[in-house]
Amino acid sequence: MSLLPLSRGTRGTRAIPDSARLGPQPGEVIDRGRSVPFTWNGAAHSAHPGDTIASALAAAGVRVFSRSYKYHRPRGLLTADYLDPGAFLQVGDEPNVRGAHRLVEPGMEVSSQNTWPSLRFDVKAVNQLAGRFLATGFYYKTFIKPEPLWPLYEKVLRRFVHAGTITPEVGAAYYDHRYAHPDVVVAGGGPAGMAAALAAARGGASVMLVEENHHLGGHLRYGDTADLAALAELRAQVAGQPGIEVLTDSVVTGRFDDNWIPVVQRGLPGVTERLIKARAKTLIVAPGLIERPYVFAGNDLPGVMLSTAVRRLINLYAVKPGQRAVVLTANPDGDAAVADLARAGVEIAAVLDPRRGDGVRAAHGHGGLRAVETGTGQRIEADLLVTATGWTAPTSLLNQSGDRPIYDPAAARFLPDPRRMPDNVLAAGGIVGDGTTAQLVEHAEAVGREAARRATSGPTPVSVPELKPAAHPELFSAGTGGFVDFCEDVSAKDITTAVAEGYDSVELVKRYTTVTMGPTQGKLETVNAVALVAAATGKSIAETGTTTWRPVYSPVTLGALAGRPHEPVRHSPMQPWHQRHGATPLVAGQWIRPEHYGDPAAEVRAVRGGVGIIDVTPIGKLDLQGPDVPQLLNLLYVNKWSKLPIGRVRYGVMCAEDGVVLDDGVTGRLGEHHYLMSTTSSGAATVWEWVENWLQTAHPDWRVHVTPVTTAYASINIAGPRSRDLLSRLTDVDLSSDGFGYMNVRRGTVAGVAECVLWRIGFTGELSYEIHVPASYGLHVWEQLMASGADLGVAPFGVEAQRILRLEKGHVIVGQDTDGLTQGFTAGLDGLIKLDKTDFVGLPELRWQHQRDEHPHLVGLRPLDGSVVPPEASQILDRSGGIAGRVTSSRMSPTLGRAIGLAQIDRDLAAVGTHVTVRLPDGRDITAEITDAVHVDPEGERQRV
Amino acid sequence: MSDRTPPLARGPVAVDPGVVRDGWEVDARVATGPLTLSDESPLAKVHVRAPFDGASPAALGVGFGRAARADLGTGDVLVVGSGPGEWLVLGAPNTAGALRAAIEERLAGTGEFTTVLDLTHGRALLRLTGRDAATVLAAVCAIDLSDTVTPDGTALRSSLAAVVTDLVRDDQDQTASYLLHVERSSGQYLADALLDAGAPSRLEITGFRGLS
Amino acid sequence: MMLLPCPWCGPRNATEFRYVGEAGPRPDPGSATPEEWRRYLYMHANPCGPVRETWYHRAGCRRYLAVERDTATNEVFSVTDSASGAAR
Repeated sequence: MSLLPLSRGTRGTRAIPDSARLGPQPGEVIDRGRSVPFTWNGAAHSAHPGDTIASALAAAGVRVFSRSYKYHRPRGLLTADYLDPGAFLQVGDEPNVRGAHRLVEPGMEVSSQNTWPSLRFDVKAVNQLAGRFLATGFYYKTFIKPEPLWPLYEKVLRRFVHAGTITPEVGAAYYDHRYAHPDVVVAGGGPAGMAAALAAARGGASVMLVEENHHLGGHLRYGDTADLAALAELRAQVAGQPGIEVLTDSVVTGRFDDNWIPVVQRGLPGVTERLIKARAKTLIVAPGLIERPYVFAGNDLPGVMLSTAVRRLINLYAVKPGQRAVVLTANPDGDAAVADLARAGVEIAAVLDPRRGDGVRAAHGHGGLRAVETGTGQRIEADLLVTATGWTAPTSLLNQSGDRPIYDPAAARFLPDPRRMPDNVLAAGGIVGDGTTAQLVEHAEAVGREAARRATSGPTPVSVPELKPAAHPELFSAGTGGFVDFCEDVSAKDITTAVAEGYDSVELVKRYTTVTMGPTQGKLETVNAVALVAAATGKSIAETGTTTWRPVYSPVTLGALAGRPHEPVRHSPMQPWHQRHGATPLVAGQWIRPEHYGDPAAEVRAVRGGVGIIDVTPIGKLDLQGPDVPQLLNLLYVNKWSKLPIGRVRYGVMCAEDGVVLDDGVTGRLGEHHYLMSTTSSGAATVWEWVENWLQTAHPDWRVHVTPVTTAYASINIAGPRSRDLLSRLTDVDLSSDGFGYMNVRRGTVAGVAECVLWRIGFTGELSYEIHVPASYGLHVWEQLMASGADLGVAPFGVEAQRILRLEKGHVIVGQDTDGLTQGFTAGLDGLIKLDKTDFVGLPELRWQHQRDEHPHLVGLRPLDGSVVPPEASQILDRSGGIAGRVTSSRMSPTLGRAIGLAQIDRDLAAVGTHVTVRLPDGRDITAEITDAVHVDPEGERQRV
Repeated sequence: MSDRTPPLARGPVAVDPGVVRDGWEVDARVATGPLTLSDESPLAKVHVRAPFDGASPAALGVGFGRAARADLGTGDVLVVGSGPGEWLVLGAPNTAGALRAAIEERLAGTGEFTTVLDLTHGRALLRLTGRDAATVLAAVCAIDLSDTVTPDGTALRSSLAAVVTDLVRDDQDQTASYLLHVERSSGQYLADALLDAGAPSRLEITGFRGLS
Repeated sequence: MMLLPCPWCGPRNATEFRYVGEAGPRPDPGSATPEEWRRYLYMHANPCGPVRETWYHRAGCRRYLAVERDTATNEVFSVTDSASGAAR
């Protein structure tokens, strides 16, 4: 086969003429005074403003719009509206555009989908010839075994089922989100929806009126002159009524708990789509009725259309849908279509009326309708077959509200069950019953008034007149085959085969055949599928029931859901300095932090040899005040807190109730009843909520006030043997060894900034001061430290250098050296955990862990070959090759000039001096020696000077 | 101890360009349109905790959910009932110390367990003003900001662009105005999110305005 | 999305809250057996029906709330402040 270029020979600059365009129609929506150029498969075309892609192409005589999903059968227009399964098209880089809904815009490049190499010659249509081999579950049955080959099959099959092409480029499209709080949302802008909205607004409610089409009006838009007059009157009233927000080209996509109602709004200037998250007090469901296709052999041939489709084409777009028509009509709307067709100059070859016993057995043709075979076997030449065989009530939003619609055989459709409707949901229009426009409006007005009453808690319920469904013959299938689901290419035979194979409930048939799973989501095909299952199982339609109608009501783009993403990021007051000085950013939770300023090893050496400063603002800080703070600390920490003197800080570890290490940090006592607690950066929010949980739910009588002050202070750690020299130049606080010893806290002025908190602690293992500066002055103090320490060689260091420094010192990072299973004694907290306390969080589990004495240990680790740095999470093997532990931290130590690490390891391999095997991710094994966790300065002499 | 550069306070939102006023670097821009966003972080912000059902609400003048102007002895302030048993008092720049002392004195009379904390430097405070302010907020906030549900003087806490925010409706000259109070490190993010949401409504930055 | 009627803030979207879990008493840490303690830690009734649970209004009043709710219908019977019992 050859890869023919698309539409070879048809490319040209002159637009194809509107051969099927009729003279002006009273309800037409096109602007004949202007023309809009676009292309269809490369060929130049012209539309009028108001034309959909499909109406413009139909006006140019185009009959085939696409190839079907599985068998690649040619497909034309069926419904000529949003749902049309024959008109899913590619527009530019956007696939699956609903061609019978999307308006033509100047320069649009439209092409057909599922056609390779071209619409007219489709190599995949060989599937059609092999149709009997592509029966129910064909792909599944044929390709699922042998299983190892499935990925290969999948690759090939995907070429056959693709639907349009997407671009990998990130587009400039803008998707918006907003919240709304209307009293009443009306889903559907036909006569009932408009009347309900008007009545609700007149009753004092704020109303959001949502219509899928580009204009309000529903079926009145393509009706007769009386319909158009009624429509003009309703539109004028809506336009003049305050309190109604009208959203056209928009859709209510679902109804969730407490009337949470997502609405997708399209066609806005500068915005591709907007997702409105509406919280309505009352929802009125008024989507009208959807005309149901009839199932018979050849029912998918181009030229077979619904009566509403031809009425839309003639009356809205002035398009002549065919030359010679057969009409199968079982209702007044079908009869009206006959009149429209005659007026449009279409030759009426025959009118077949099931109410008089007529029928259609089959449609014949190749690539398009040529002849209709009637119920009596008569063959009538025609290029158009119009069917009007009944209606489907789109009850999705009611089902999502908890309603279970009931099948009414006399009306041949499902109707809402008013007993199961929640108080905040009402229904109006065709979904409830039938009537004249006046009757529909009268009913809907009462529903609208009642909706406003419920939204505003009015006293007296409104009496709603009855709206009865009209009688209609039950017409689903001629029993001659044909398609049930045009999107998924599911035939009537597929349904009966599925039942015969034992899939005897409608839910199972759906999953097995994929019927109703396509883009129309069952709106055209569900009831026919149910009727076929019912017939095949010998049950009634009521007994068979429908499939579940879940959100979303119609497919939604990912862009609309994603909207404008809100992903908070947090910055310290020194961030501008870090950016100016070339810091490599590190994303740590929400925080943006400097990972390093170019050379983390040099930063480590600067700290060990002189002095460095690091921005540690993200460290969690909680201000604790009240007489019961010591009780709280004793409950939260595993160690004891009753006797912490004013001016001292203490290290503490928190475990959860399962004994697993939760967080750690130091807490200092600033005053009699005033403490400052620090937490890890990542644990700041968690610990705060956790502390509040204990206070509010377990000890509401304790007098403690907790205030998060993490970002009230810019926090700077000044570390290294020259840190005292540096800080003393900027503060009035006595920094002498006797005046301000290790693990003490002071308050004072730094660089002219009052009310700073200074802690003498040492995460790096060096003499160091952690200063907490009122945050607005953070940048000032940082710049003063850099300027004052220039002669001392002060260097900024980042998170990576700090990680190396603390690893050299053997300090644990919670969440790095511990995980969700690491209990306190595993983390090496033996000296800290006070099992003699009467209570603290996690006490029982830690007591039992201690008694069992079989837990893993946290140890130091040094590869014998000091040049090999095993990646973190490398496994440590036991003597039989099983997993005995893992490397939790691992770095090249600039201070020792060799690789060092921390590891969690089984207790019988944890003795210092033990040689263990470490398996690297590349499969190599290396030998490492277990050491003390502290690699540098085990006596702690450097930090106590 | 050195006696070089005097301390300069900076708000959480980048200035372009900046100008120094009362020891604070503030944005020098002056908006010309009707919809504005300003960084009001230099305002003194004092945080109060006290029993929600005791004598303190009366001593402070408002309870949870409302905001009102008052003079606690340091000049014009805005007292915000920001949570159950939780208040935020906003005052002129560089008055936090005096304000805190005044509040402590006022609450001492109640005999209740109270905490008064200066959080001036720990929080960002933005002000969004204009007829379309609620429209801008509707893009980032799920709260119904209509006049009937959220009238002038309402205080509430909710999520704005996924950041927990105290929102105070504090109209100015009959024009809708909202004070937005978040922890400091999220200030720049929230300002950016509002400018993005407000772009279609032509939201402009304007310099520090102060409380009145 | 369901609304949770916060006794302090009024009805708010459930996304403003953190679901803490079913509410139950903490055993005495001095005398609890491992079985009792682990029932407290891990065993939840998870009924399809009425349940007493704790929610935290993290994006609102920042109070822990005692909620009685039907998990099948999301009907909320009562919401009170865990510490003060305040309700409205």
